[in-house]
Amino acid sequence: MRNWFVYLLASLACIILLFLLIPLVKMIFGGDFSVVWETFQQKDVLDSIYLTMRVSFMAMLFVLCTGLPLAYLISRYDFFGKSLVEALIDIPTMIPHTAAGIALLLVFGRGPIAEFFVTFGIKFSDAEPGIMIAMMFLSATYLINGAKEGFNKVDIKLEKVARTLGANPLQVFLKISIPNAKKDIINGSLMMWGRGLGEFGAVVILVYHPMVAPVLIYDRFTSYGLAHSAPVAAIMIMISIMIFLSVRFLNNKLK
Amino acid sequence: MELLEVKNLSYKLGNFKLDDINFNVNQGEYFVLLGQSGSGKTLLLESIAGFNKVEGEINFRGSDISQFTPENRDVGFVYQDFALFPNLNVRDNIMFSKKYKQVENPEETLLDISEFLGLMPLLDRRIENLSGGEKQRVAIARALFSKPKILLLDEPLSAIDPTFRNSIMKFLKDIHRRYNLTTIHVTHNFREASYLADRIAIVMKGQIKQVGTASDVLNSPSSIEVAKFLGFKNILPVSILKEDSENLFSVDPNTIQISKEQLYCDYVFKGKLEECMGIIDHYKIFINVEEEQFFAKILKRDYMGCYADRGESIYIGFDKKDICYL
Repeated sequence: MRNWFVYLLASLACIILLFLLIPLVKMIFGGDFSVVWETFQQKDVLDSIYLTMRVSFMAMLFVLCTGLPLAYLISRYDFFGKSLVEALIDIPTMIPHTAAGIALLLVFGRGPIAEFFVTFGIKFSDAEPGIMIAMMFLSATYLINGAKEGFNKVDIKLEKVARTLGANPLQVFLKISIPNAKKDIINGSLMMWGRGLGEFGAVVILVYHPMVAPVLIYDRFTSYGLAHSAPVAAIMIMISIMIFLSVRFLNNKLK
Repeated sequence: MELLEVKNLSYKLGNFKLDDINFNVNQGEYFVLLGQSGSGKTLLLESIAGFNKVEGEINFRGSDISQFTPENRDVGFVYQDFALFPNLNVRDNIMFSKKYKQVENPEETLLDISEFLGLMPLLDRRIENLSGGEKQRVAIARALFSKPKILLLDEPLSAIDPTFRNSIMKFLKDIHRRYNLTTIHVTHNFREASYLADRIAIVMKGQIKQVGTASDVLNSPSSIEVAKFLGFKNILPVSILKEDSENLFSVDPNTIQISKEQLYCDYVFKGKLEECMGIIDHYKIFINVEEEQFFAKILKRDYMGCYADRGESIYIGFDKKDICYL
């Protein structure tokens, strides 16, 4: 009785797993490895991958500093407009990325806010900060929601006891709440970083140059065809998988 | 000497309210807040610890501390599920307050507490590898290490295997004496309260119904609801004793004598046996007297088989000394 049910579930699960797996395998192992290696040594490819990782990481750090407090507030307090704030956090995952890019361009590409930042020498159009805000806008959700789940799992009594032991709210946040939610925070950060690496739609509208890896892949595909874009895509996928798996592994090791 | 005075304390949480709470706790006293689940005991304990913004006063040695944050109240708190920090090992849990409070001779204090509580072999263990009893000792050690002026215990025995409860009750009393503590202990178990408490406050529906010494509260409840909560049986009108009063009295089912023959007690009634239930080592017997029902407990070793059949007439009797007037 139980076996046929498990087989049914497993068969259906295999369909989606194969769907996810085959394109990745094809991309990594389907091409000529010497061409991939040759592509890997090209300066513009390396620069582009490094730029993508660095900026996505910076976006993640920024959201760690600002999104963690937001996640904690949502997890611990009831306040007017809380549902609205939660909806606002989720909205970027539902809107077309190109539309998000347009919205960001309208706010940070021109107008008073753009001019305000220019006075500090910060320019968003066709500059790294533009890549960063595009990545941040579309992937902050993952970190904030991950952290919120993590804080929800931390028993509030731990925080109360820590207060009676002399720690003030900030010390409790740093020494008890964050360390005990770290697994979800790291997972959320990783998801955000990984999602940022693949961001194309919003980035391409704000910043074509300098090129992040997804824009480079697109640029090579439209200019030179599949043969030139596929190795870059393969490299990007391999690096992303390696980083993703190692951080997941380390996170699972964390007690 | 009075250490803590809770005066006109009120606090509303949703539909529940702690309503005009008044009691005091003396230096060195083991004070028990006794009440059913949902009566507001834990909320009251948390209010004393400073987790809730309350109305009224909480005076500590005469100074109002009701506006103080929990970190400035010098209380130690032990929750029923112990709330140990999973990210820290036993030693770091116990010494958590070292960074935030001035603890004199922290290493010696750790050694002393750990030796007394039998935690020396566990100091480097992770929290998830401890048994319930060990977790409880760590939680108490953590609270003691911070040298609190008052120790607040929230149902500390409820998560403990019943077979160990008696030894842990003794252990709690030993800790209280050894560290010269003032303890407020929340429980729903009146046996626990009767063993541990110097004084007891009965908490019901967010109100303090009675405060007094353990023997006063447990033997002379001030109202029917307190009597019922404390397990008093046979709560009946005094008029049945042919006394001119509209009050109620209670008589312990174990002290009621039963016989088919006339009895020689201060009060003797003839009634009809309504039910006789055999329970392991005793019988529960229900007797109707003048439309009131008496409940008596008779040991099986004293009577073989039920004393009478249902509907038969029977005498019951008890002495004045066994009566508790409510």
